[in-house]
Amino acid sequence: MPQGTERPLRVLLAKLGMDTHTVGITVIAHALREAGMEVIFTGLKQTPAMVATAAIQEDVDVVGVSSLSAGHTRSLPTLARLLREAGAGDKLLLVGGVIPEEDQPLLQEAGVDKIFTMGADTRDIITYLNEWRAAQQAGHS
Amino acid sequence: MKDKSSRAAMQSTRPAQQDDSIAVEAQRWQSDTRGPYVQAHPERRDEFVTQALQWSVNPLYTPADLEAVDFDYLQDLGFPGEYPYTRGTTPNGHRSDFWTMTQVTGFGKGLEWSKRARYMLDQGLSGLILEYDLATTNGYDSDDPLVEGEVGRAGMALDSLEDLEQAFDLPFDKLQYLMSVCNAPQPVNLAMIIAALEKKGVDPKDFVLHIVNGILIEYTCVGRYIYPPKDGLRLATDCIEYIIRHHPNWAPISIIAAQLQPAKANPVQEIAFSLTIACAYIDAVLERGLDIDTVAPYFHFVINVDMDFFEGICKLRAFRKCWARLMRERYGATRPEAMQIRMMTSPTTTALTLQQPLNNIGRLAIMATACALGGAGESMTTPLHDEAHSLPAEDAIRVGAALQHIVAHETGVAETIDPLAGSYYVETLTKQLETAAFAEMDTIFEMGGALKAIESGYFQRALGREQYERNRDIEQGKRKWVGVNHLQLEEEKRQIDIFRLDDSVEAEQVSKVQALRARRDQAAVDRALDEVRIAARNGDNMVPPCLQAVRAYATHGEICHAMRDVFGEHRTDSQLGGI
Repeated sequence: MPQGTERPLRVLLAKLGMDTHTVGITVIAHALREAGMEVIFTGLKQTPAMVATAAIQEDVDVVGVSSLSAGHTRSLPTLARLLREAGAGDKLLLVGGVIPEEDQPLLQEAGVDKIFTMGADTRDIITYLNEWRAAQQAGHS
Repeated sequence: MKDKSSRAAMQSTRPAQQDDSIAVEAQRWQSDTRGPYVQAHPERRDEFVTQALQWSVNPLYTPADLEAVDFDYLQDLGFPGEYPYTRGTTPNGHRSDFWTMTQVTGFGKGLEWSKRARYMLDQGLSGLILEYDLATTNGYDSDDPLVEGEVGRAGMALDSLEDLEQAFDLPFDKLQYLMSVCNAPQPVNLAMIIAALEKKGVDPKDFVLHIVNGILIEYTCVGRYIYPPKDGLRLATDCIEYIIRHHPNWAPISIIAAQLQPAKANPVQEIAFSLTIACAYIDAVLERGLDIDTVAPYFHFVINVDMDFFEGICKLRAFRKCWARLMRERYGATRPEAMQIRMMTSPTTTALTLQQPLNNIGRLAIMATACALGGAGESMTTPLHDEAHSLPAEDAIRVGAALQHIVAHETGVAETIDPLAGSYYVETLTKQLETAAFAEMDTIFEMGGALKAIESGYFQRALGREQYERNRDIEQGKRKWVGVNHLQLEEEKRQIDIFRLDDSVEAEQVSKVQALRARRDQAAVDRALDEVRIAARNGDNMVPPCLQAVRAYATHGEICHAMRDVFGEHRTDSQLGGI
């Protein structure tokens, strides 16, 4: 596909469960938009099923979950499974926030593609997303 | 005669002459001394600004700067314990008593909370803060599918009176103060605490229960709301009214400016948003027939201090003065207590880093010192250095408690009252903050006050912008942050222990609440829940029907659902952060 007609990367940003810390996700939303991506925010208090449905309906490329309480060890594996079961396992699944190191292998095994912990640079996230996109396109062509 | 009049003339012109001569001398110093030096030694950066407000900081402050902001000692400062309270609300600073030293606790089941609370009291703390898990603060029982994975994690799980009966297995003789942090379902939590104290036989007059009850901040930036803003405001007002009328020694409301700050409100927004939010509650309580001199002393603020030492210190000083002026000028308060702001101060968690977490102990000590220098308020709470990693571990609790004692006993900052008063920089910045805060408050009052500012998303959008811009400053290195964008370590070894809550807590809590439902008098519960719905519809004070329901062992979630039936739910989530 020629560069000019390429559609912007579509990213769904989500907050799961009762975790309502929004500063990180707000910063990411602004930064991704400034980098030319389309950002959709689910709103608060979502279940994994609600996020999976939104990801499919909105036809996003990337699902980014922000987690600052401790519920991630359960909710993220569920979300990854629901996406796979709905045939949307090819969407990039990211998580950011307070994710202790010892939880990371569990999340990766469950299907989380990449973990950004607190303090991650938005420019690194953008670079990661752009590289992932480029690799996807190389793979498809 | 001649002598006398010429002396009088001299006296009357003297201050102006003095200031002029200082301004003239300052200019001379700039061109003769500083100018050539800076030419030879260029400055470290292009511009020097304060951390949050990004206000320009001069190389030097002199009496000429005080003149420029129209500083007047008697009007702007006065004396400690007297209007406008800039130098403190008490006449003797911390020479009579230190502030109450507290820390946040609360996770797991009631029994575990009790164990940790005892540990904290043994470390020399006299006050406790009880936080609830996110299921509780959002009004769901532990067995609700929506809260799976959250039970007992961010605080204590409170499903029924049974949980608090266990949590309150505490030495109440050591405990002077208990703060219960809950906003959206506040009448339910308040009712649970009242009922639990009754069961324990604790005289409510013997200690201070302090409920946070700050729902308007939740709509602004935190997000733990249930009902629409106007209903949230009504429930908060119910609790305030109930406490003032029935437990006048308790504290019915806190305005947590400390939640605006992590949402990146700058100090002007912190003062203006939190004071206009206070006015929204005050207006509502006054409509219930109470008067300002009775109501105002009940308002309490929790205010964070960030790493910019002077922004933090001046913010605390400006807060005191702005409150005093607002109560006198807007409401015509006359009692001194109505004009003396009550506050708890705290170092902010947002200054802490995940990287090199032990550095956070240094940061906490500096911020706690700033709190003390700004006039710590009645109490200070210190977050813990490992909070960015996970929920706090016991070692961190000990260090956090010690830290306040170090500031109090070892630094000497509490030995004299308001020790930084008269600093040309501190007084200039304090006055600038006050002026800017009043300008922002005028804007908010013009749009109809804080409730309208929330309903229109004004607060939320303003904070979203600040969040993005402050983060960008750090990423672009405009602000250096050790461990984050300065002096980073390549391979970081883990230096701290992490507290882990056993997953079995959730399972146990779920079976406990289900067992309770099976054995209680269901007909009594149903009747009590009907009463809750009727009172909600009729506009009655919600605390008494909640108390009845709690005594019948209706669960926390059931009572919240009964109110959902009447009020509905607030669902404009995407407003948060202006995303």
